[in-house]
Amino acid sequence: MKKEIITKTNQVFEESFEINKNKLLPEMNIFNDLGLDSLDVVDLVVALQQKFGVKIRDDERIRNIRTLEDIYSFIFAIKNGSSSLPFKEDKQ
Amino acid sequence: MKRVVITGTGAVSPLGNDVAAMIEGISQGKSAVRYMEGWHKYIGLRSLVGAPAKLEHEKDIPRKNRRSMGRMSIFAVQAAQQAVQDAGLPQKMLSSGRTGCIIGSTMGSAISLNEVFEIMIPKKDLSQLPSMKFFQCVSHTAAMNVAQCLGITGQVVAPSAACASSLQALGAGYDLIRLGRQKAVLCGGAEELHPTVTGSFDIIFATSVKHNNDPKNTPRPFDKQRDGLVCGEGSGILMLEEYEHAVRRKAKIYAEIIGYNTCGSGSHVSQSNREFMVSCLLEALNDAKISPENVDYINAHATATIQGDNEEAAAIKKVFGGSIPVSSLKGYIGHTLGASGSLELIASLAMMDKGVIYPTLNLKTADPDCDGILHVFKPLACDIKVIIKNCFAFGGINAALVCRKLSPE
Repeated sequence: MKKEIITKTNQVFEESFEINKNKLLPEMNIFNDLGLDSLDVVDLVVALQQKFGVKIRDDERIRNIRTLEDIYSFIFAIKNGSSSLPFKEDKQ
Repeated sequence: MKRVVITGTGAVSPLGNDVAAMIEGISQGKSAVRYMEGWHKYIGLRSLVGAPAKLEHEKDIPRKNRRSMGRMSIFAVQAAQQAVQDAGLPQKMLSSGRTGCIIGSTMGSAISLNEVFEIMIPKKDLSQLPSMKFFQCVSHTAAMNVAQCLGITGQVVAPSAACASSLQALGAGYDLIRLGRQKAVLCGGAEELHPTVTGSFDIIFATSVKHNNDPKNTPRPFDKQRDGLVCGEGSGILMLEEYEHAVRRKAKIYAEIIGYNTCGSGSHVSQSNREFMVSCLLEALNDAKISPENVDYINAHATATIQGDNEEAAAIKKVFGGSIPVSSLKGYIGHTLGASGSLELIASLAMMDKGVIYPTLNLKTADPDCDGILHVFKPLACDIKVIIKNCFAFGGINAALVCRKLSPE
């Protein structure tokens, strides 16, 4: 599941934001490293909703997302119905 | 008052994606009108012809700029880039606050607008709407996208007057420069083709519906057999510049703008009115301080609607009589609506440069109701010193612009 989340999330960044997949490393800051801005985040949310069939637009946790890994963890938590972000801890 | 000249042109047209390609197509008598695949699926749409432009090289525009652009804004940016390059105006001038950007269109991107409806309406759900749809749909989308992309920091304005939009843009730019408010203004219009755009004319019986099987034979401006307009798309952009500024930097000068007028008819929302067309033409000539006989070529609006062509021919006859050549370019590139004034002015400037008037394509037999003016049926060699460009739009909007070839001084 984690692998699928990473693959699909990275697809969103390639398709919607035209970012080369070589740059899509977990530690990449989506603003400073990948060049997204606040408007792009709106479209990121729409694209993630469509990609994963989830409703996340009003989820407060989006505000804390900084890196690609944050997104992977967030989606993982959503898919598992969890309010925490276990993906990071799980990886460690 | 300052003098105003044209120092750059750029075009994305149904006949090609630069000025040279458009002029080449017109000079060869080519029609860009074709049968539009897929349009037959729209119930009630009878006109299945259009004059599409080609969307290409759009990824040359950086994503951060491109994301807020619908099809028409991409056309506008590409035409604007050509015009800036042609004019040779440096970036520091564009971003000095002394250069403006006035680009009009009938409305925002029709394609994006339809996408918004398709996303939102089925479940009345706004949560799936991307952030950029708004910026693609707004009425000033072409002007703001060009200004953003090119870093223009002077006045940014978007006249929205349907088929007169780009001529109003040129007139507004002319006014700003002659009043000393800007040194240069990038002016023009943009439009995109979509079944809903053609449909809005089709509903009121203004489109060509008899030539779905032989699209090259329509539209037929001023012709006895004409049956309505054909929508096209693209963008025409011109660099307007203060004469002294252009001379100082030794810019190439296409022509001087010497007169302009726009006025309302105040009588009917869709039917053009010869009385107010006459007023508009006379006021434009008055502004230019010339007489009708000083005009060498009239580039007509003439879209091939029955009523519109009748009224325009009558107005031209009343003002100019029957001795000044008149032609319409709609047979080549269709009616590019908000882009028609600027695209056709660019073609008229090419005629001025080449000393030839291109004929009205598909005009075989002039309608008796359009008679009494000097129609051009085949290429006509002519020393063109002064041209007048007409645009007449829904809403009773009339506009006319007068340009003069600049004599070497």
